[in-house]
Amino acid sequence: GMRRGAPRGTLRGVLRRHKPQLRLAASGDLLIHLNFLMFLHRLAEEARTNAFENKSKTIKPEHTVAAAKVIKHF
Amino acid sequence: MVMSFVKSLVYIGRGELQLPDLVPEGTSIATFRMTRSRKKLSISEFERAADKRLPQNQAHSTLDSTLARSLHMSLGSVLAPDTVEKRGLFRRPKNRKAIDIAAFEGGVEQNMQRKAQNYLVDLQTASMIEAATLTSDAEIMLNNTELFAQPQSGEQNQKELPALEPQLSESETPVQRSKISNAMQEEGKLVGRVSSVGTEEGRTRRYSEEELINDREHVDSMTHVSQKTSANQGEDEQGHSQQSEPMEQLSDSEEVAGTTEHHTNAGYSEHLEKKLTKKAESQIIVTPEEGGVAEGSVKHQDSPKAEPEMATSVRARSLSRHSHAFSSFEKSGTKPLKEAVEQADELEDRAAMGELDGSEEESTEDEAETEGQESKEGSMKTPMFVRAAAYSPLPLLSTPRPAKPAAQESPLQPRRAKPVPKSSGTSRKKKREPALASSYIKQIFRHYAKMPVARDAYKIVEKCCEKYFKQLSDDLEAYAHHAGRKTVEIADLELLMRRQGLVTDKMPLHVLIERYLPLEYRKLLIPVAVSGNKVIPSKSACLSGRW
Repeated sequence: GMRRGAPRGTLRGVLRRHKPQLRLAASGDLLIHLNFLMFLHRLAEEARTNAFENKSKTIKPEHTVAAAKVIKHF
Repeated sequence: MVMSFVKSLVYIGRGELQLPDLVPEGTSIATFRMTRSRKKLSISEFERAADKRLPQNQAHSTLDSTLARSLHMSLGSVLAPDTVEKRGLFRRPKNRKAIDIAAFEGGVEQNMQRKAQNYLVDLQTASMIEAATLTSDAEIMLNNTELFAQPQSGEQNQKELPALEPQLSESETPVQRSKISNAMQEEGKLVGRVSSVGTEEGRTRRYSEEELINDREHVDSMTHVSQKTSANQGEDEQGHSQQSEPMEQLSDSEEVAGTTEHHTNAGYSEHLEKKLTKKAESQIIVTPEEGGVAEGSVKHQDSPKAEPEMATSVRARSLSRHSHAFSSFEKSGTKPLKEAVEQADELEDRAAMGELDGSEEESTEDEAETEGQESKEGSMKTPMFVRAAAYSPLPLLSTPRPAKPAAQESPLQPRRAKPVPKSSGTSRKKKREPALASSYIKQIFRHYAKMPVARDAYKIVEKCCEKYFKQLSDDLEAYAHHAGRKTVEIADLELLMRRQGLVTDKMPLHVLIERYLPLEYRKLLIPVAVSGNKVIPSKSACLSGRW
């Protein structure tokens, strides 16, 4: 599980930096956090699969790069 | 109707996997009228009909492509990637040709009218190069053939040249890249090889690699020719021992290049050659009206470093040099000439190219520097091409930086530089760029990977996160704007997740919430109705912003 809580303030700050004119609903950042977790989950799964296919016991940068190209927010 | 619906669904599902099966099925399903399948059927039917008329080979390919296209259309994509790419390929050379020719002529006229030699030289060289580059690959090939017919001795000499001096190598490399550079080289070589190399490189990158190959051949021949011609041109100038050798080579090559150049270039080169000869006779005289060519010839003998071709990169240098050149011109013939020529070249290049690769040219002024420039130029090849295309506003002095990293940095930098609207004293002390803590990302990723992760892999994960947030903000803004709101609501986020395929009819949002988020957040997000007309979470709890 997650040791820390969701960085709500940081998430809002990041969104602010990209789109300063955009506002966010009260619990919206939690769902953003959820989306972020799922994104990392998918990325990690894909990278893990790539590492397995390469018969590697660790996830190497190339595995992650290939995983990132596949994800593309399906 | 149910049957037809099911069949159409089957059709859709199968379409992705078994394209050929659709052919026979299509006709049968065509009878049913489903809006969903209609699109595909109409297209596929049309294609089939068209295919019948076409030869068998084409039919198969078009059919498959049609099916694929229909599927793509159903999915929402607009064009097949091939067509887009082809259009892009076709477009560029056409536009450039038209513009360049016109610009060349206009530039020639302007040059004549202008006072400064530099501009003349630069424009001429630039136009030459542009004109040369504009020529289609076929033309370039033709030009090459001309060169080949000539002198293979030149090629042999070329081999000898590289062994000679770094300058030679410098000039050769850039020349090789672009044919146009040959014409330019003639002029530029007089001034300085390095500069010419830089410009040539930049120009060639712009247009095509084939040109580069052709140019190289040209350059070799040109350098060779220049050697011969330089000797003929001016013995006076050869007084400058150091540069005499390269100058000769340059002049020889230049003349040769002029003859072998493309038609447009040839005419131009001839003009240049005439100027050069004039200059050779008259000592070093910086007369702006004569144009860079004359200067080039003079300078060429003096300092084969900078060439007008290099102008683009030499711009920055040229400016400084011009001032020096003109002032010092009267004092000492060789040095100021070189500078002036270089500057002129640079200016021309600047005008013509508008590129930023001046840094490379600057270094090329000195023989010793030329070597350095060669290496720089080599590294700059790709970047120059990229920059040329993009007309990035990087400073001339930025120099040899790999173009890709530079290109990547420039788009990223402006974003990071965006000022945060709220800036109080306390917030300034904190990190100016709110970014998610890398350790936090590491922790989450490690948890999900369930495998040891290399340290370098985390860097990539971080980059992905940055891109992800950027895209996320764009999407949310689009959704909110689409709904006519300025605030991103929960509905927007649900729509985002649905589009990403995370939330489906089988996987509602609250299931995901329960799965991923800790209990406290779950309570916040999922209202739970309790008896007594109380709903948890209560609105007051949300507004208070606890947790």
